[in-house]
Amino acid sequence: MSILDVQHIEKHFGATRVLEDISFSLEQGQVLSIIGSSGSGKTTLLRCLNFLERPDAGTIAVRGQTIFDAADMKAQTESQIRANRLHFGLVFQSFNLFPQYTALENVILARQLLAKSQKTGESNEAIVQEGKALLDQMGLSDRMDNYPHQLSGGQQQRVAIARALAMKPDILCFDEPTSALDPELTGEVLKVIRGLARKHTTMIIVTHEMAFARDVADHVIFMDGGVIVEQGAPADVIDNPREERTRQFLSRFSQDN
Amino acid sequence: MFQTVTLALLRGCGTMLELFALTLLFSLPLGLLVAFGSMSRWAPFHFLVRWPRLLDQKFFRWLSTFAPVSWLCNVVVWIIRGTPLMLQLIIIFYGPGLWFDHNIWSFSSGRMTACVVAFVINYACYFSVIYRGGIQSVPAGQWEAGEVLGMTKRQIFFKVTLLQMIKRIVPPMSNEIITLVKDTSLARIIAISELVKMGEDFMRSDGITWPLFYTAVFYLVVVGILTLLFNFLERKLSYFR
Ligand SMILES: Nc1ncnc2c1ncn2[C@@H]1O[C@H](COP(=O)(O)OP(=O)(O)O)[C@@H](O)[C@H]1O
Ligand SMILES: [Mg+2]
Repeated sequence: MSILDVQHIEKHFGATRVLEDISFSLEQGQVLSIIGSSGSGKTTLLRCLNFLERPDAGTIAVRGQTIFDAADMKAQTESQIRANRLHFGLVFQSFNLFPQYTALENVILARQLLAKSQKTGESNEAIVQEGKALLDQMGLSDRMDNYPHQLSGGQQQRVAIARALAMKPDILCFDEPTSALDPELTGEVLKVIRGLARKHTTMIIVTHEMAFARDVADHVIFMDGGVIVEQGAPADVIDNPREERTRQFLSRFSQDN
Repeated sequence: MFQTVTLALLRGCGTMLELFALTLLFSLPLGLLVAFGSMSRWAPFHFLVRWPRLLDQKFFRWLSTFAPVSWLCNVVVWIIRGTPLMLQLIIIFYGPGLWFDHNIWSFSSGRMTACVVAFVINYACYFSVIYRGGIQSVPAGQWEAGEVLGMTKRQIFFKVTLLQMIKRIVPPMSNEIITLVKDTSLARIIAISELVKMGEDFMRSDGITWPLFYTAVFYLVVVGILTLLFNFLERKLSYFR
């Protein structure tokens, strides 16, 4: 059974259709890369999966269980959406760390609040230990007590990844995680993501780093104008694209880089 | 003489502090209300969007997005910030007597009450703009980050955005509050014995000017204390950006 099954997702902003009939599935432990030019709807798709936007049509199922069905709006209560969100994690292009908290506090805040409000019985001690372990895994053991403004962009993004991992999502989404970084800082973030892939973290990565996508992804989706133009193994989509639009996009890329 | 002047100015200073404190007490919460009002997106005619043909007309398109609460708050803020406080004070104090043949401010502390009302309305409008700026200056990404981490709206507000708003509100708020200290001297226009009036009375009756300079000392002390307080607050909040 697929860990994620997305069927016929559609999203409009006013009269403009931003996503049209988006369907794909993802297996546990696999990495999906989404590529496509800017404005093609990649961010909107990730925002739909994280319920920051509500799709106008379609269904989302996690481990075979439908958690969202646009046709059944009554099921979408505030607390239901919040519970659904915990299946997904999202790492933003612009990090969005909480400035008034240290790196460690950023990582553990949501877990602490969840433990308190749902009385999960999880001890604060355990949460802190886990947060430290995550930051350690991100190579930030000496930065735990720094505030975001004291960290470089690459370090901030790694804290953001640890923060998302702390909620133990089934699927971790990245929206151009290195686009806001200076070129010399992208490497450290990509390295961390590679590490997660090696540990079979299920991930959806929107990226413009073609070499990275080809390397790390098990599956690639090329989007254009709100539709999936082509999907398949990276060796097919990136190296031997079938569609003309994919070819054009990729050739523009190899010229740029 | 020095003692007489000091005592009189102390009384004036008391009046100033009373007006200052009462104005803050009421205008700080009222300003927050006005800020929420001006950000309200309640559009009672939004149902018009159900008839797309109607929306082809400019008027109906405008009507469907018209938010009356926000509109009203913005107009009030515009009028109050666009006219002198002194004018508002005169209208609020003398207006009712002239319009209704009955001075609603004729009770014993009526003058002070009228003055507080005028100041509260005026400062609530200024504060509302500051609040709104603070609220809107927190990037949407902060809310979204909280939401994708499964936090409730309450948790996001209290644990994430509130302190960021406060940090951005404190500097403009401290400016406005310091201006309020000096604006209290406008109360003399409706014959309230605040500091400047006290000092000026000595000039008129005794022909001496030093009490005027002496009043300045009182303002400087009050403003000085406030400045220290706000600096302390800003320093407390300077650990993050
Ligand atoms: N909140 C919004 N309101 C209106 N249009 C939007 C909104 N968000 C995105 N769009 C539009 O949707 C399209 C897809 O945007 P986006 O998902 O950000 O693309 P990408 O991430 O691939 O660059 C763009 O044309 C964009 O202008
Ligand atoms: Mg995008």
